[in-house]
Amino acid sequence: MRSTFMGLEASKRGLFAQQSALYTTGHNISNANTEGYTRQRVNMTPTLGYPGIGLDSPKTAGFIGTGVEVTAVQRIRDDFTDKQYRQETNKLGYWQAKSDTITQMEDILNEPSDYGLAQTLDQFWNSLQDLNVNPEDGGARAVVIQRGIAVADSFNYMYNSLSKVKENTAKEIGVLLKDANSILEQIASLNGQIQAIEPNGYMPNDLYDARDSLLDKLSTYFPIETTKVPSGGNALAIAEGATTVSLKLNDGTTVKLVDGNDYVQLRNSGDSATDGQTPTGMVTGLHIVKVNSNGTETFLSNDWSSTRKTVNDINNFSTLGKFKGLVDSYGYSTDGSGDANTEKGQLPDMINKLNLMAQSFATEFNKLHKDGTDLTGTSGEVFFVQNGTTDETGITAGNIYVAQNLIDDPNLIAASDSDPNPGNPEPGNGKQALKLANMKFSGLSELEDISVQTYFEGLIGQLGVDGQQAERLAYNAQTLQQAVEERRDSVSSVSLDEEMTNMITFQQAYNANARMITVVDETLDKIINGMGRVGL
Amino acid sequence: MRVTQSMLSGNLLRNLSSSYSKLDKLQEQINTGKKVTRPSDDPVVAMKGIGYRTDLNNVEQYSRNIGEAYNWLDTTDDTFDKIGSTLQRANELMVQATSDTTTPEDRKKINSELKQLREHVQSLANTKIGERYIFSGTKTTTAPYQDGVGYDTNVVDNAFNKSIEIQVFDGINIQINTTPIGIFKEIDQMFEQIDKDITSEADSSTLSAHLTTIDDNLNKLLNTRADIGARQNRVELMDERLQTQEIIATKLMSQNEDVDYEEAIVEMTTQESILRAALSAGANIIQPTLVDFIK
Repeated sequence: MRSTFMGLEASKRGLFAQQSALYTTGHNISNANTEGYTRQRVNMTPTLGYPGIGLDSPKTAGFIGTGVEVTAVQRIRDDFTDKQYRQETNKLGYWQAKSDTITQMEDILNEPSDYGLAQTLDQFWNSLQDLNVNPEDGGARAVVIQRGIAVADSFNYMYNSLSKVKENTAKEIGVLLKDANSILEQIASLNGQIQAIEPNGYMPNDLYDARDSLLDKLSTYFPIETTKVPSGGNALAIAEGATTVSLKLNDGTTVKLVDGNDYVQLRNSGDSATDGQTPTGMVTGLHIVKVNSNGTETFLSNDWSSTRKTVNDINNFSTLGKFKGLVDSYGYSTDGSGDANTEKGQLPDMINKLNLMAQSFATEFNKLHKDGTDLTGTSGEVFFVQNGTTDETGITAGNIYVAQNLIDDPNLIAASDSDPNPGNPEPGNGKQALKLANMKFSGLSELEDISVQTYFEGLIGQLGVDGQQAERLAYNAQTLQQAVEERRDSVSSVSLDEEMTNMITFQQAYNANARMITVVDETLDKIINGMGRVGL
Repeated sequence: MRVTQSMLSGNLLRNLSSSYSKLDKLQEQINTGKKVTRPSDDPVVAMKGIGYRTDLNNVEQYSRNIGEAYNWLDTTDDTFDKIGSTLQRANELMVQATSDTTTPEDRKKINSELKQLREHVQSLANTKIGERYIFSGTKTTTAPYQDGVGYDTNVVDNAFNKSIEIQVFDGINIQINTTPIGIFKEIDQMFEQIDKDITSEADSSTLSAHLTTIDDNLNKLLNTRADIGARQNRVELMDERLQTQEIIATKLMSQNEDVDYEEAIVEMTTQESILRAALSAGANIIQPTLVDFIK
């Protein structure tokens, strides 16, 4: 025998369920523009029919429905697209970091233009041609000195600016690692909260969203791998559980970063910097530490199984993620030793090549200059020196300068090829100046027998090719990432039209339930107030 | 595929910003007149650009050098011409002097003019361009003729016979000076001898021997002038070649890196209209949702 008020109960359940759905619709609409928000859906299931199954269950015809219940509020998201998104964002991070550095380098080298080193060198050679034509002219001599200073200044400027960019890149690596460490901590903390909520049968959707956003961000920095560990207790089957995060290395091994609510921090290895994150020398790799409650740090192996210091060689990092992109720009040790000769990277390579260029240019020029004689008929001295000294060894792009005694007295420029013994001055002899001017065309053995200018052209060409490649690959990665993002949005983002339709659906369902209650009320009214009153 | 508002607006924004970046690039091209502004725009163009700039720079420098070469050769030629006429005049005077009808008094009058001619040649030998004595070899700050220096010495400093060369093309040098200090010395000694002979009232046959010397010196001058003329020709040829070269280098550089304005402006206009279309389409798409149509 069924209950008299059963209809009321079924409709009440309907009212509550539709109301939950309506409120969830409201929540979706509110978060329509929230970054990282995943639309939520109320999962409804019919409650068990009447009568229940049992030995002494009443025998009635049919199995009458008893209404609806909300089993879970679930977010609508596709794990696979998340995985794809993170793969693409890896590549984007790497190439964007490289492309950014190369753009800055191009700005510094400023070629092709009428103001770069190539032009300054051209003007220097021209001034020597003019000196050849007017060797006794003080003006022509002063111009040679000034053009020489301009060449040195150009080298100095490029060296200093590139060093500055390198310094800034180090800071960027430091900031990136700090951010990554903070993300690891937050993910662990979210894991902890999720593990506390899920066993109660709830779905902490908004915590999941927060965690996914953090994982997205972390994967722009590093290639990561995630696995899910279900929470125990009364957790729902669709609950996502805690996420274990690992860093993927080239050789297929992984480095565990977050496990449940435990996490580690990343440190630059082989580095004595106070914060352990901003590199001072070249990068050799990363190691992981556990920060203890008293602030001390314990080194851990990659799987946390032992407290031993494991350095993850930077050469074992795949070319994915912004971290590797920055490191490739900043410079790293090719064998992990940290030895200066093993340094490689976009910025150090360029600086080294400029140094080599400045050194061989100065050496050859000085050699020719010493062969000549000055206005008084004595042999020439060094023209280019280390700034502030009279030393020509160890000249780099950073310290090359014109010797002070020549700046003070341009008559010391050895423009003549006259015999220094017995030192008969030949003011009109500019043959050595012409030889110096023609160094423009001569190949230097240190530069693989090509001229300074051609070598510089090669540098610019290589930089251009690298820049173009980085830009193209960054663009490709961006396009792919956008395509995946679109697919993900297609699944997860809020559509207002859809929500409006749902709103109407749920509102009407709510109204219908209310109407149902009125109908039951009316039938009960009939039974209670209208029955058994025959003749009254 | 399920499409949502945020996807639409995201796409619109992306497309707008890519449209803007294309406009920016085109605008930069039109403003600078260059196809590339950084090596990564086109590494080959950038590299060639540096090379062409150097080429053009060389040609411009060589043209400047050529100007100096003209200056020297023309001045030298002109000076030699004047020395030539001076010797002609000396020749005429000597013909007059060697005549038997000329009295020793007349010869002394003639001699005073000859002395003037000698000084004239000395001053011509000291011809300067700017502050430089052009007949001093590489001793350009020392006059070829002064007391006790230059050719007024027994053994002339070798530096007076050194050439001054300038570069007029890659690997091509042209000597711009002439080193006639030997001839000058001979001419001067000749005048000195004539002076002595006339003063010592030598007979006409002794004097007439000088006519041959004058002739010899004139010939030497002519030979040197022929050499100068040949060099002038060469410089003119080189000049023409450089002018052509300059046009070619400029053209190559321009073809390599200069923007094709017609193309860039047409592209810019196209891009502009695409942007406009995107903006107006965006305004239409983004606005309405179902919210606008249900009560």
